[in-house]
Amino acid sequence: MAEAAERVFAGSEAPPAVAGRVERHKGVDRLFHWLTAAAVLTLMTTGLLPALGILKFNWVVVHWSVGVFLVLLVLFHIVRSLFWQRLKCMFALSAAEIAGKKVTKYSVAQKLMHHAMTLMVLAAVITGCFMLMKMDTPLWKRDPYTLSQATWGVIYVIHGAAAVSAITLVFVHVYFAILPEKRMYLRAMIKGWLTREELAEHHTPPKKNG
Amino acid sequence: MDLFRVGHDVYGQRVLEGISWNTVPYAVGVAAVVIVGHLIWRLIRGTKRGA
Repeated sequence: MAEAAERVFAGSEAPPAVAGRVERHKGVDRLFHWLTAAAVLTLMTTGLLPALGILKFNWVVVHWSVGVFLVLLVLFHIVRSLFWQRLKCMFALSAAEIAGKKVTKYSVAQKLMHHAMTLMVLAAVITGCFMLMKMDTPLWKRDPYTLSQATWGVIYVIHGAAAVSAITLVFVHVYFAILPEKRMYLRAMIKGWLTREELAEHHTPPKKNG
Repeated sequence: MDLFRVGHDVYGQRVLEGISWNTVPYAVGVAAVVIVGHLIWRLIRGTKRGA
């Protein structure tokens, strides 16, 4: 009974493969995380380095192709989180959590990082989708005249702000991921599991099953 | 510091071209402040349980 509660609390209803371990992230969610990380880093590299004049190369095709891939990843994550995951694990925030008296599956800091990343990625992909209208691709022909010059300016500003804020967010995210006391979460994002001791030490046990 | 890049269209009117790339060092600076701030807080707190 207690083990079942731990599994639900940790985010998995499937029994762990090894005793003493509690599954935190399913394989599909880990794959999503690392593909998104690769896509965001590629988009930052292809978007920012040429703009800063650090590296000159034909970045446009790589940038929009990876951008479309990121849109598909975001759509996948939205559908998965709506129908296969518990939204409240990420979005519910109680006074006890803010006061540091309770830590559910995700800490307040982890939730804030997720929400900041969400805002950044959504701003980038939504404006990026509009910017695709200015591209000739195998799938569509460019049509830059649908929106006014002023509207394009706002879209470019939002897209650029998302790109610049991504620098801060990636640095901070990587820093917290490699901190010794947080490295169990990095391992969980690679291998999928926490130990029962780690779960007991860093998270508040649920009062009831689920 | 300019927050935006502004150009001119074919009619000579000012048009917004995007965010200024001069903001990039500030983004790195904010990250550095957060990281260094947390490291100091972690040292002062002297515990293995950080934020």
